Amino acid sequence: MTKDKNVIEVEGRVVECLRSAMFTVELENGHQVLAHISGKIRKHYIKIMLEDRVLVELPPYDLSRGRIVFRYRN
Amino acid sequence: MNTQPFTTRPSEHAVTVTRVADGQWHALDDDLVVGRGHALHRPDGRLFVSIDAWHDTPFDRLAEAMQVALPAPLYTVVDEADTELTARWLRAGFTVRRREAEFAVPTDPRLTGLGEVLPPPGVTIVPAGEADEGLLRAVDRAIREEVEAGPGWQSMPAEVIPFPEGDTVVDPSKYAVAAAPDGYLGLIRVVTVIRPRIGLLAVRSGAQRRGVARALLAHALGALHRAGYAEAWAEVQETNRAASALFESVGARPASSNLELVR
Repeated sequence: MTKDKNVIEVEGRVVECLRSAMFTVELENGHQVLAHISGKIRKHYIKIMLEDRVLVELPPYDLSRGRIVFRYRN
Repeated sequence: MNTQPFTTRPSEHAVTVTRVADGQWHALDDDLVVGRGHALHRPDGRLFVSIDAWHDTPFDRLAEAMQVALPAPLYTVVDEADTELTARWLRAGFTVRRREAEFAVPTDPRLTGLGEVLPPPGVTIVPAGEADEGLLRAVDRAIREEVEAGPGWQSMPAEVIPFPEGDTVVDPSKYAVAAAPDGYLGLIRVVTVIRPRIGLLAVRSGAQRRGVARALLAHALGALHRAGYAEAWAEVQETNRAASALFESVGARPASSNLELVR
């Protein structure tokens, strides 16, 4: 059986759009992570911008990084 | 939350790849998912793939497995500024097929200079939601056939979204059109999900270079401005000089660029 529980998903808000296709996302707990966009989001041409509310996936071995896997509509 | 990075990484030799569903793969390390691959058929028939993995090894394993399982050609899209991801795809044998600039387009007529722009004589702009559906579908079909006979629809940056039974006009209410007495000459599609995006702006070949596209753009941006939107977004293929020139002439600024890769 495969498990996908080694992924942590946290809601956050984009507080900075950086060069190199990266974003600073402030998580609900106040921590900030450096995040990039998931391949599925890019394939669907979903634009991520400042102040967007997003769902970020964090790897358990490096909680300073993240991957934006969903953008909320409001 | 502890934000100290751990040193744990997927072990290079333990990563295995499993196809978990149609179009979905998982890279597993010690029974844990360390990467995911996804394949999506676009309505134009092309197969687009994406891989999300934190490290090179699961990415490489997924790319290898997906290329074995899926028929070529395979396409993917990356932000040109994301050099790490681009390098991974290039390492997997993909090459750059085309480059697409993303423009942020102002809507304020004081910035665009489009406040006084009128359509050419004999042409009227029909606002979104008021176009005749039959004529709209006819002009959309005609333009796509003209493009296909020329550069090819696949080479165009127009967004391709799911549509039923080959009909490319999913929501007629999103289109404004340029109308002449004998039919429609061009169209513009603007879809707003949080922020407006100009997904398509096209004019029939026989009606180009008369200011029809400019008039359609003036109309659409004016409507967005009145609705309170300061900017819209549009993607333009790098080689489409006319489209780039049109957007740059209204004050649009390049915000980023996407690469379409193929193998």
